[in-house]
Order: sequence, then structure tokens, then C-alpha cells
Amino acid sequence: MTAETIIELSGVEKRFGTLTAVRDLDLELVKGEFFSLLGPSGCGKTTALRMIAGFQEPSSGTIRIDGEDVSTVPANRRPTNMVFQSYAIFPHLDVGDNVGFGLHRSGLSRKERRARVSEALELVELGGYERRRANQLSGGQQQRVALARALVMRPKVLLLDEPLSALDKNLREAMQLELRRLQQSIGITFVMVTHDQYEAMTMSDRIGVMFNGQLEQVDTPQTLYASPGTRSVANFIGGMNFLPARLHNEGGGTLDMEIAGFGAMAVGRNPNVADHGRNALVGIRPEQLEIAAHRPEGYDSTVQCRVADIAFYGESIHYFVEVDGVPETMTVAVPNYFHSVDFTRGATAWLGVQAASVIDLGRNRDNETQQGEKT
Amino acid sequence: MKRLRRLLPGLGTYAALYLAFLYLPVLLLPLFSFSEGTIVAFPIKGFTLDWYAQLGEADTLLHSLANSVIVGGSTAVLSTVLGLFAARAYVRHRFFGREISEGIVMLPLVIPGIIVASSMLVLFLFLGLRPSLPAVILGHTFLTVPFAVSILKSAFDEFDPALEEAAYDLGETTIGVFRRVTMPIIGPGIVSSLLVTFTVSFDEFVLAFFLSGNRPTLPVYIWSQIRFPAKLPNTLALGSLLLAFSVLLLLTAEYFRRRAATGQGARKESRDDR
Ligand SMILES: Nc1ncnc2c1ncn2[C@@H]1O[C@H](COP(=O)(O)OP(=O)(O)O)[C@@H](O)[C@H]1O
Ligand SMILES: [Mg+2]
Repeated sequence: MTAETIIELSGVEKRFGTLTAVRDLDLELVKGEFFSLLGPSGCGKTTALRMIAGFQEPSSGTIRIDGEDVSTVPANRRPTNMVFQSYAIFPHLDVGDNVGFGLHRSGLSRKERRARVSEALELVELGGYERRRANQLSGGQQQRVALARALVMRPKVLLLDEPLSALDKNLREAMQLELRRLQQSIGITFVMVTHDQYEAMTMSDRIGVMFNGQLEQVDTPQTLYASPGTRSVANFIGGMNFLPARLHNEGGGTLDMEIAGFGAMAVGRNPNVADHGRNALVGIRPEQLEIAAHRPEGYDSTVQCRVADIAFYGESIHYFVEVDGVPETMTVAVPNYFHSVDFTRGATAWLGVQAASVIDLGRNRDNETQQGEKT
Repeated sequence: MKRLRRLLPGLGTYAALYLAFLYLPVLLLPLFSFSEGTIVAFPIKGFTLDWYAQLGEADTLLHSLANSVIVGGSTAVLSTVLGLFAARAYVRHRFFGREISEGIVMLPLVIPGIIVASSMLVLFLFLGLRPSLPAVILGHTFLTVPFAVSILKSAFDEFDPALEEAAYDLGETTIGVFRRVTMPIIGPGIVSSLLVTFTVSFDEFVLAFFLSGNRPTLPVYIWSQIRFPAKLPNTLALGSLLLAFSVLLLLTAEYFRRRAATGQGARKESRDDR
């Protein structure tokens, strides 16, 4: 990386007895970026974050923060601060004392401390809330106090463990944007843990996707969406139709494939995929498919389909369609342009797709079993 | 509950009678302690505070009161400290044998006092500890630990472990975390535990009778006085005071326990400047 590295994990592993919660984690974070660790519950995100914070010591590997090896430095002497999932607001202290808690040992005068506290509260738009009791705060306000309490310490890295999961949907969406704006304005590196793909995508510069203690891919949200390196990443981020394919020719930047149901297409090579093989797998995002009553013009491939089911989402409509030669039901997402649902269950329709929309997912690992199941 | 009530229409009456039977005699105690007569019988003759006044002059009574305070205070501190460790472990950690160990800690609540008392006497004599105040303190600690554990467990139940982590993360030392976060939040629970265990020890008779030797605690002293009919009114007065004092302590303890449960500890951090 050309930009300055702030956190460097190399070969970090955490074992609890026989369970390996985090496995061989290599990660470099850049100063000032908003980084998210994304993955299903139980995949080891929190454990990874807690090792960066210093609450847990890695079983092996090293952690460097700003060039210094902190692997054995306890949490109270690391230049990181954490926003807890439960916010952990001290119930016996008012907002001002909560936010000023960590300045106690800073050697600052009372006046300076008070200035820092009010500055931090301004930052999270809670200016003047110093004398509020902790139990008079709403969930969103507690979240802001927790943020201010961590930011007042001016950490090199702010760690957030599922910071928005306790908020209701509207507040959560508003806070996503606000947290992002805050991070950009203060320029501190944020590392957030979340299991919510949308949260990770809307907020982060880069996302690390984790499964079973293993970091599978680190990329920008756009790259993860357009060029996922594995089937599990493709499946976890956004919707995806998976199609088996045969790879005929891999010349240069394109792969000549015979895709189940859709026929021959030249698909762009996905640089994030580890290996290719004759049995290949491709993916098509639901919104990249066109559905029409008549054969649509100008597409690289068109096929007939039957509408098996319909789901109305308001802003979009999902058609679940069956295509001859495609083993699984496919999903087509159509924006709700004119408040009309154009197809009924059981109707026949046409699908159109561009080769540029087809994502190369490399060797198809469960091709063998699928062949076996075929009747 | 509704169905149960339909099945047993007399349940309410039964409950009322039960409570009356249980508590009316207790209420008679203070009533007769103000009576001029020396025998406990209706009708009550006149009103006097003499029996109370005479209490202040009884030397042995004051000594036994002092003994009880020493025993109660030591017991309260010991069992609360033990309870603190146990409760924290039970709430915070999942370890092998946790449930069995919890059951054993609670056992003194259901073992008959006379059995505990006689076996302790045997054990202490075997160990060379003669009946004395320290022996009573040990016995009472054993008896009151379950109270301390259950009160402190409810205090820890409400305590989010992330609070201590947050304080540590903000640069506090382990001791600082305990002083600035754990203590203020658990504090009311600790006070409640101290008060309850003190009260239980203060009122306990059987163990004290077996283990106190020649330094009686207050209940043992009262028992010794009941043999003298002339002293009965004084004993009633003393008993009434004891009753009032215990109720007061338990109410205070309950107040603190609730405060602990709702996290309404100390309001302000001391703003010490350096
Ligand atoms: N202190 C611990 N002791 C034993 N196992 C743990 C401990 N902390 C986490 N685990 C286990 O490690 C795995 C990963 O947990 P965690 O990091 O909390 O996952 P996530 O945050 O992604 O949901 C889980 O299987 C969890 O049960
Ligand atoms: Mg987690």
C-alpha cells in the first residue's frame, strides 16, 4: 500500500480450546479509512476486534499499531478506543462525566477537560447535554455519548462493535450516514464490525468479509459487489443467481463459456478468483436481468422463462423465474417504474442479460455433486 | 391463578387466617410491653414506659448487646466479602460445577439450625476452638453467606460486564475500574447485603446459644431472662425494640437492593483536581 499503514495484523490467530475463532488473519489498514469487518454471526469478527482493542491476546501472530508491536500491550495502554454494542454508558454518571471518564488520567486541568468534553459532545450533536443523566437518554443518544466518550481520547483507531444493531431501522439508517460523515470530518481510522451487508457497504471505504474465522476477501464495496472472489462472498453481499457453466477457452481478459440456460457468452475474467477450471460457476445479480413480455432487443443472451412467484417490495418487484437448463429458480429484480406488476404467476416471459453483467466465479466446487443429483 | 381460585374458594380466607396466626403474636409483643401489669393477659392495665427505662440500667444486657453488635458486624463483613466473590463468579463465569456449587452455598437456608449448631460445636471443639464470640462469628458467617450471595447476585445480574471493559479501554487501571465503576454500581447491593446479614446474625439464637459460651449475644440473654417471671415485662420491651430495629434494617436493605437493581448509584463523580 502506498498510503500510510496504521494497523497491521500478521498471522493473527485466536483459539479457545479446540475452537479456532480467528484463523491466520493478515490485514493492513490505512490511516483515515473506514474499514468494516463483515460476516455472519459467530464468524469471529468480535474476537478480531477485541484483539485489536487489547481485550484478548492473540494465540499467535503480531498486531502493530502505527508501527509499534502492541500484541502484549493491554487495552488501557493502547491508542485505540472502543464503542461497545451495548454502549456501556456508566449508569451512575451524567453525560459529561461519562464523556470525560478517560481524561481523568490525562493530566489536563479541569478547565481543559471540560472544554474537551463539550467539544466532543458538539461533534456528536449533543452540545449542552453534560448534566443529563444516563437513564434520560434514548438509544440513539446513548450511542452518541459512547462515541463522544471514545473520540474525546483522540485515539489513533476507533473500534466499533455492531454500533447500530440496537437501533430501530430509521434511526439506524440515519446514523449510518452520520457516522460516515463524522469519520470523514475527523479523519480517524474507524474499524467497524457488522453482520449487516448494507451497513458495511454504505459506510465503508473497504470491507473485509469473514467466514468461519477466515478472512475471505478485502475490497471496496463496489469491487466486492462486482467481482466477489468466492461463492460465499457473492452470496453474502447482495442477491445472486448462481449458474453452472462450461469453460471452453480462457484467452486474455475474457473467458468463453457455455452458461446453463443462457448459452455461449464471453465473460470478463474476475481477477479476485483463485482458480479456473472446465466446470465453472458464474453469477448474475437479480437487478442485472431484464424481464420482458417479448424477446428483448440488444442483449447478449435472451431466454424464455416461467414466472413461478412474485414478491412486491414497494420500490422494486422480485420475480422468481424458472429457466430451462438452470437448476435453481432465478430471481429478477425490477424497479417499480409505473406502479404496475407486469407479470402474473404462471406467465411466460423473456429474460435478457449482457455479458458484462455476468460475474465469473471461477471453478465450480459443487459441480460434481450437482451432476450426481441430476435425474 | 384464576382457575386455582375457582377451585379453592376458601383460599383467600385461609391465607388471611394464616397470616394472622403468624403475625398477631408478634404484634402482641409490643402491645404488652407498654402494659403496667407484670403478667401477659387481657385486659391491659395502664400505660407505662418504665420497662423500657429499666433496660438502660441492666449491665449484662448492655454487654450482650455489645457482643451481638461485634458478632453481627464481623459476620456482615465476612459474609459480604465472601458473597461478593461468589456472586461475581456465578453471574459472570460459566465454569464446571457452577450449579452444584451454587446449591451447596445455599444449603444453610434449609438445614435445621439445631443440626448446624450441634455439628459446628463438635467440629469447633475438635479443632480446639472453644465456644466464644469468634466461634459464633464463624457459625453466623456460614449461615448468612447465602443471603449475601443472593443479594449480590441480583446486583451483578444488572451489571453489564462491558462497563468494566469500557472503563479499562478508556485508560483506567484495574483498581481504578473497581473504584470508579464497579463499586459505585454494586455499592448499594453491598450495603444491602451488609444490613441483611447483620440483621440475620443479630436475631439468630440457636447457633449463638451453642457457640457463645460465657459471652451471650442478645437473643441468648433474652432467653435466659424468660425464666424469671418478674423480668418478663423488661424482656417484652427489649424484644419490641429488637423487632423495630430489625424491621428498620431490613427496610433500609431493601431500599438499597432496589437502588442497586435499577443502577441508581452515586450521582456524581468526585471532581478531584490535581
Ligand atoms: N471468550 C470466549 N471463549 C470461548 N469461545 C469464544 C469466546 N469468545 C468467542 N468465542 C467463540 O468464538 C467464535 C467467534 O465469536 P465472535 O468473535 O463473537 O463472533 P462474531 O462477533 O462474528 O459473531 C464463536 O464460536 C464464539 O462462540
Ligand atoms: Mg460479535
